[in-house]
Amino acid sequence: MGCCYSFFCNEDGSPQRGEPSERTHLLVDPVSNNSNIPIYNSEDFLSNSNALPKKTDEQSALNRILQETATNVIDVAALDSHNLQQHEYVERMRQYSLKLQQACASNKLPPRTKMCLLQDIPAPEKVLSSESVNPDDLRLINSAVTRAAAAISDIKVEHKEDMVVMFRVPD
Amino acid sequence: MVEEIRKVIQELLLKVSGLYCVLITDRDGVPVLKVLTDKAPELATRPAFLSTFGLAIDQGSKLGLGKAKTLICTYSQYQIVQMNKLPLVISFIASDTCNTGHILGLEKYIEPLLANLTVAVADTQ
Repeated sequence: MGCCYSFFCNEDGSPQRGEPSERTHLLVDPVSNNSNIPIYNSEDFLSNSNALPKKTDEQSALNRILQETATNVIDVAALDSHNLQQHEYVERMRQYSLKLQQACASNKLPPRTKMCLLQDIPAPEKVLSSESVNPDDLRLINSAVTRAAAAISDIKVEHKEDMVVMFRVPD
Repeated sequence: MVEEIRKVIQELLLKVSGLYCVLITDRDGVPVLKVLTDKAPELATRPAFLSTFGLAIDQGSKLGLGKAKTLICTYSQYQIVQMNKLPLVISFIASDTCNTGHILGLEKYIEPLLANLTVAVADTQ
């Protein structure tokens, strides 16, 4: 806030300059103060705090840059495929099978995830590949169901007696 | 127990038509679990071929697109799908006409089985 107001005061050359008013900034010349703050890099702090000879620092920084660049570069020609020796391969395979046996003995297999949507049908492919229902049968089923539904919707309670019955307490 | 895992993967293998084998290896291509059919090409199941995935994903992660998860290579007769589950690598070898989406869909079924395999590999390394 103070910063903004001070900027505008300078611009319009207010006649009240020097006198306390609503435009007088509370902090003394904050803009010029800000500009004096020195900028440090994190590397400067590191080098200052360590207080090591500067040359070693530079060398290590350069080495680091070189290292970083080397890891970031995709150099296909320099890729060395580390081919395993046959005995090493066999040895590792043997170790894996041993460790796997141990791991499996101590840990249970997680419960199996649902593999099939139609789990309650033992052989879904047979059901799905069977012939479709005869259209006449389907029509019969549909009409029967429609009539049954109509009949169910017609069911009504026949009112015969009073719902609330007074119990006559003998005097 | 190991046989159970193998059986589950065998069942999955049969569900995808054109899938020839599922190999679960370490990053150097040393097999931890192999489920093969007789159509699997022998050369592609060797560590010299499978280990190239490890190198490829290392380099691929430098492209600024994040960690490489899956690599799909299609050849004239085969397709290879490899999944990054480090320290494990899952490799699927299938015919070129096999539905790649079906292979990728197997991931969620295989993933729960990997816990013990990961332990075996992580202990050894």
